[in-house]
Amino acid sequence: MSATALEVVGLSKTFGGLRAVDGVSFAVPHGSLTALIGPNGAGKTTLFNLITNFFRPDAGEVHFYGSSLARLTPGRIAALGLVRTFQSARIFPGMTTLENALVGAHLQLRAGPLQQMSWLPAARREERTLLARAEALLELVGLARARDVAASELPMGAQKLLEVVRALMARPRLLLLDEPAAGLNDSETAELAALLRAVRANGITVALVEHNMSLVMGVADQVVVLDAGKLLASGTPAQMQADARVIEAYIGIDEAAN
Amino acid sequence: MGRHEPADGHSAGEIASGQQVDQALQIVIGGLLQGSVFAVVALGFSLVYRVTGTINLAQGAFCILGALLTYTLEDGFGWPVALAAVGGGALTGVAGLVIGATVFVPALSQLPVSSMLIMTTGLLTLVEGLVLVIWGSQPYALAAFSGEAPIELFGLRVTSQGFWIAGMAATVFTSLWYLLMRTGAGKVLRACAENPLAARLMGISVPRVTLASFALAAFIGGLGGIFVGPITSLQFDTGRFFTIFGFIAVAIGGLGSFVGAVVGGLLLGVVLQLAAGYVSSLFANSLAFGLLLVVLLWRPNGLFAGGLARRSDVREEQRIYPPIVRLEGRRAAVLAAVALLGALLLPELVSSESVMSSLVITFILYVALLGLDVLMGYAGQVSLGQAGFMAIGGYAAAILATNYGWSPLAGTGVGMLLSVACAAVLSFFTMGLRGNYLALATLAFGLLVDSFAVGLTETTGGPSGLVGIPAFALGPLVFDSTVKMYYLLVALIVVLLLLLLGGMRSGFGRALQAVRTDQTAASALGINVARYKLIALCISAALASLAGSLYAFYFHFLSPEMVGTPRSLELIAMLVMGGEGTLIGPLAGAALLTLLPTVIQPLATYKTFATGALLVLAVRYLPGGIYGATVQRLRHWAAARGKTS
Repeated sequence: MSATALEVVGLSKTFGGLRAVDGVSFAVPHGSLTALIGPNGAGKTTLFNLITNFFRPDAGEVHFYGSSLARLTPGRIAALGLVRTFQSARIFPGMTTLENALVGAHLQLRAGPLQQMSWLPAARREERTLLARAEALLELVGLARARDVAASELPMGAQKLLEVVRALMARPRLLLLDEPAAGLNDSETAELAALLRAVRANGITVALVEHNMSLVMGVADQVVVLDAGKLLASGTPAQMQADARVIEAYIGIDEAAN
Repeated sequence: MGRHEPADGHSAGEIASGQQVDQALQIVIGGLLQGSVFAVVALGFSLVYRVTGTINLAQGAFCILGALLTYTLEDGFGWPVALAAVGGGALTGVAGLVIGATVFVPALSQLPVSSMLIMTTGLLTLVEGLVLVIWGSQPYALAAFSGEAPIELFGLRVTSQGFWIAGMAATVFTSLWYLLMRTGAGKVLRACAENPLAARLMGISVPRVTLASFALAAFIGGLGGIFVGPITSLQFDTGRFFTIFGFIAVAIGGLGSFVGAVVGGLLLGVVLQLAAGYVSSLFANSLAFGLLLVVLLWRPNGLFAGGLARRSDVREEQRIYPPIVRLEGRRAAVLAAVALLGALLLPELVSSESVMSSLVITFILYVALLGLDVLMGYAGQVSLGQAGFMAIGGYAAAILATNYGWSPLAGTGVGMLLSVACAAVLSFFTMGLRGNYLALATLAFGLLVDSFAVGLTETTGGPSGLVGIPAFALGPLVFDSTVKMYYLLVALIVVLLLLLLGGMRSGFGRALQAVRTDQTAASALGINVARYKLIALCISAALASLAGSLYAFYFHFLSPEMVGTPRSLELIAMLVMGGEGTLIGPLAGAALLTLLPTVIQPLATYKTFATGALLVLAVRYLPGGIYGATVQRLRHWAAARGKTS
């Protein structure tokens, strides 16, 4: 299947006088792993917030498997299968690692509060199924032993991995990850890379914002480069590494200074 | 000098009385005077809110403290009026300084905003209890500053005290404005309000500035109480009326805005006096509540948006969260079986009727607490009006059963439906708002229900209460003794616990907990935040209503003070002390606050004070409550034993 998972057309957002995102268009092919890169302040996270309607765009459209996301609440977007994580790991404090993972499966639940309160066999069975899935995923990222620990006590790297697990529990069609490797050490980054490849192998499309170039070059099929709110270039990792504009944006040769 | 007849502070009659033609004008003047006091209280709210982002519900307590300190200096020590007023104001400022330095400011850096709000309800209760211990429960009034003779002005008669009040309000407002806008100290204070981190980097001691503004707000509140003292009745619990009307004023005007506080206060005063003068004081209270709801819906930031928008949309920085308390599997089952067996055998062991009765009350309150725990402990929404739902349930069931011959069960059901309907309305008005609006709307709601219970004398029996309520019955089963009620409650609690444990230990409970700590992340996972808040509020209202009905059927009597705002605050104290978010814990809190005063009679006088003090201490030092601490201790003990063997 070569359908387009996500299509972003002419997305713009202005904060005060700042054009944070300026007419950005790109597409994420189904089954791909797309990385958004760019210097700090390029508008990557804002773009994510626009796609998932945490901010309302000034102009432009977002299509998810052909249907428009305009005016849908973040919750509805999640229900369609577009699940995101946050730049600073937003795990739920006051809940254990396992419970955090289970929250991700919220939309998978068939039983409502009443059925759960009545201990209906179907509701309990559903809980057990989710529990098994969550434990398997935690095992995969090496968090199984921390399952009953307060999630807020986990080190930063583990919290970020937990957030990815939580998003996966939602069985997303497209996973948006906002800087998943930030705060991870080398071995955790390697685990993350393995996890991302496994995710893609399971047919889940991934788009991520990331600064860690070795991670991006190692796992991405497609790289989209943003600079100062605008789309600078897009292509394969190898193409981007050779692109003069991209190198310039990253090394920071300021044309105005010349 | 001395005591006066208690006067009703909310009726227009005594301030304005004159010719019919001038009546409206007289009422408006009365309203402006009352509004000036609201405005002064509201200024205190805005000041503390601006610097700390916390709504300090103890603000009204300083009014009553200032007034009664002035009374004692004047009446007990024979100081002249002016000196006593200055002394009373100064002592209130000192009290603010002490409370701020020992409790408020240190907690600020550690507790989330909602816990701060709960802590200030504890402070309110604590100061009320202190006043009760020192001054007793009788009403007081201060002597007018310059005689009782009214002053004629353009044919209108205004009490001379009115000029003092207006002058004080104007002075407080202009001084505060001058302090904030024209002095170096004001600049420092504004810097702390707008960006505490940057202020700290500039070498400003933020805690010290916070403390100063807290004490200043206490002083201003004290002044309000002192100046209004001669024309209102002062009682240990009058403080919460200052708090609620001051808060409504500031919510209308705009939290954090000083102009808003003044405009909101004056507007509220005039509207209340007009409504009371032309319709009834009951209508006036409903109108104040209605005004609050309309403003919350139409302009959540008030008429004058606050000086700055506090960023309540951003997740709070790392704060202390309660420890996670989960008893799992076999150990929990064994403990539950032992507890149930103990509960079933207890009536055989307890011979004292008063202790048995206290146990029944403990269990009834525990039913209400189970609902409150779902709402506060799991969903993180603070309700300060739980007793309002108890009142609805109690009165609906009692009236239907007593006057209309309905079966107690049907009456209880109607009460629960009514409560859930009220909860849905409250939720509709507050669900779109972040922050603690639900807490304040529920506080106002509780007071509204209370004023209906007092005001609708023909239906509710008014302040003296409703008598001759039959015993609870299920068909032929009549629960007409303490022991029968006891077993009914044990059965009910077992069923409720099973239902709630089932819900809280599955997706439902997880969704609520997610809403509690991070609404943004929760909605990103598809959790319908508004829906879950609504469900939690409805469960909480239904259980409170059920508890209220059982309460009325057990006592065969129901009066407004049994289900008033102090009860709401007491429930919060029980919940926090017992352990939020544990379902089991609140039972410990309820037992502690109900049984102790029964067993040790002399404690009864200190109950209000102790409730407040324990609540403050629990919020600050016992985040998991008694239950959390016990479970942790058990776990350590088990771990230690496991190591040695």
